[in-house]
Amino acid sequence: MRVEISIWFFGGLLFLIYGVIVFFEGIWELSHPLVHPPVLNNLHAPIWWGALMGIAGLAYTVKFWPKSGR
Amino acid sequence: MHLSLVDALSSYLATPGKSLAHLNSVDIAVIAIYFGIVIFIGFYLKGSANTSEEFFMAGREMTAWIAGLSFVSANLGSLELMGWAGSAYQYGILATHWYWIGAIPAMLFLGIIMMPFYYISKVNSVPGYLHLRYGDGARALSAVSFAFMTVLMSGINMYSMALVMKVVLGWNLNFSIWVSSITVALYVGLGGLRSAIYNEVLQFLLIWLGALLVPVLGLIEAGGWTNLKHQISARMGSEYIHLWSTTGHFNQNPMGIHWTGLVFGLALVISCGYWTTDFLVVQRVLSANNLRSARMAPIIGAAFKMAVPFIVILPGLLALTVLPYHLVGETQAVATGQHSYNEVLPLMLVRYCGPGLLGLGVTALIAGFMSGMAGNVSAFSTVWTYDIYGAFLHKNATDKHYVAMGRWCTFVGVLISVGTAYLVQHAASIMDYVQGLFSFFIAPLFGTVILGMMWKRATKAGGFWGLLAGTCTAIGLFVWVHLDPKALRYVALSPDAKALAEDMYRALWSWLVCVIVTVVVSLATQPKPTKELEGLVYGVVPLPVEHDDHWYQKPIVWAGVIAGLFVILNIIFW
Repeated sequence: MRVEISIWFFGGLLFLIYGVIVFFEGIWELSHPLVHPPVLNNLHAPIWWGALMGIAGLAYTVKFWPKSGR
Repeated sequence: MHLSLVDALSSYLATPGKSLAHLNSVDIAVIAIYFGIVIFIGFYLKGSANTSEEFFMAGREMTAWIAGLSFVSANLGSLELMGWAGSAYQYGILATHWYWIGAIPAMLFLGIIMMPFYYISKVNSVPGYLHLRYGDGARALSAVSFAFMTVLMSGINMYSMALVMKVVLGWNLNFSIWVSSITVALYVGLGGLRSAIYNEVLQFLLIWLGALLVPVLGLIEAGGWTNLKHQISARMGSEYIHLWSTTGHFNQNPMGIHWTGLVFGLALVISCGYWTTDFLVVQRVLSANNLRSARMAPIIGAAFKMAVPFIVILPGLLALTVLPYHLVGETQAVATGQHSYNEVLPLMLVRYCGPGLLGLGVTALIAGFMSGMAGNVSAFSTVWTYDIYGAFLHKNATDKHYVAMGRWCTFVGVLISVGTAYLVQHAASIMDYVQGLFSFFIAPLFGTVILGMMWKRATKAGGFWGLLAGTCTAIGLFVWVHLDPKALRYVALSPDAKALAEDMYRALWSWLVCVIVTVVVSLATQPKPTKELEGLVYGVVPLPVEHDDHWYQKPIVWAGVIAGLFVILNIIFW
């Protein structure tokens, strides 16, 4: 039986992977400040943006986890 | 070993002589993951693209949401993203017209009025509809011009993206062109339209993911929308922040346009022509799994299209106040080494995004380019196989043969696009001509299709001669103004009109000529028997009735909601 993978699963997985990468990059930057920080670096956008992406991605990945199809 | 590969790629890409930003290993990993997933999708869907219906029409199994997101994503190419952000920097908020009045009414019109005819006639393409309605002449004219222009436009998009990547990130031009086009060829060639659509949905999500931080952080830096408006007004003039109030005369706004051109030229002709007859976008909706989904898809697409100015136009406006330097036109940028308008979006990304987020933003730009290119190539492959090869060169071949032809066509289409990209690199002026050429065919085609759908008296000869006359009019007007710039006062109704205004009026005149010639020739020729028009023309047979359980499931209700929002937004930014 072919396992059907929903497009939303792919979307969720991508969000989850990117969320994790960006979030941990933001955490890393707390202890290793950038030599050339971008504007508004003090807002720590990678941490909250990465966390938001990760949570949304996790929700979609779980909801659309591939199941055995027709 | 994996890390060393990423590092090697990183050092290859990020060793520019002079570039604005450098990508580190995290950024390159983000981009590499994206490429890995899109290629995986192509291989995964290969088994679902065995018949021509599966390869060219995605098996007509797409839901309204998937078809709708793909519909709007196929249009979000690199020119659309970076070009209009640059236009916002150059002309202010007026650039939003191309996303709102230049898209929303036409998308709703497609969903509510036109989709039933395309869908119930079960055609595979727009030229296919012309074949049923007007015969082979109109089909051939439309198919050849569409196939030719589609791959050329794809090449121009490719070159635009590669150029910006080179200037901002220092990437090798050849590397950008070949890696992105081979990837597109692989996933479209393997999985057909289904793979293109799946990736377009993914790319649409990515575009938002990567680009959304720029307007959010930009607004924080500018001190909010009200402050931003005050700053733009003080620096550039209040005409940069009004949508309609400055369009009473050509010389009152930076774009040199007039509201009549916006309403009649842009909204009525160019936008309706593009969104309802350009097969690149219509193909996505034709893949829907039932008529209701096919009608809802453009309405869902319209909702998202209306939000796109937030990630495209707003960054351009923000750049007017936050960037410490001034951007210039492409020609001046090449001559002086300054940054051009087209680079505004990547420049804003570099301003706000550090490692990881920058990779995500660059991935969004690449995704935008690839979704546009996949749209062009899959539409080219379908029109070539069904409406040129299958219709005129090799009729009655097996289904397997047509699928093989479609796959080969995908690769050939990509190769022609790459060739165009290199051609444009050596003769940049070609870009203006090809973009002009594209508009030559779209405006008259809308006249032919809409008369065919709404007027049963339109005949085969009327359709063909109307389309030809409209196209010749557009080309003639273009050449006239090119040879004698003073002719602009006649074509665009004012000597103060600028290039974009000329496009609008040229489209309007060519559409009018197409309609008049079609009507006159049709009245002078023998009409088609009514029986042959069933399912093709309004009023010949009743359209299938859709049964929705609740009032809020009706497409017309959602179209009304979107139309209401559209009106409110235009009033707010008047």
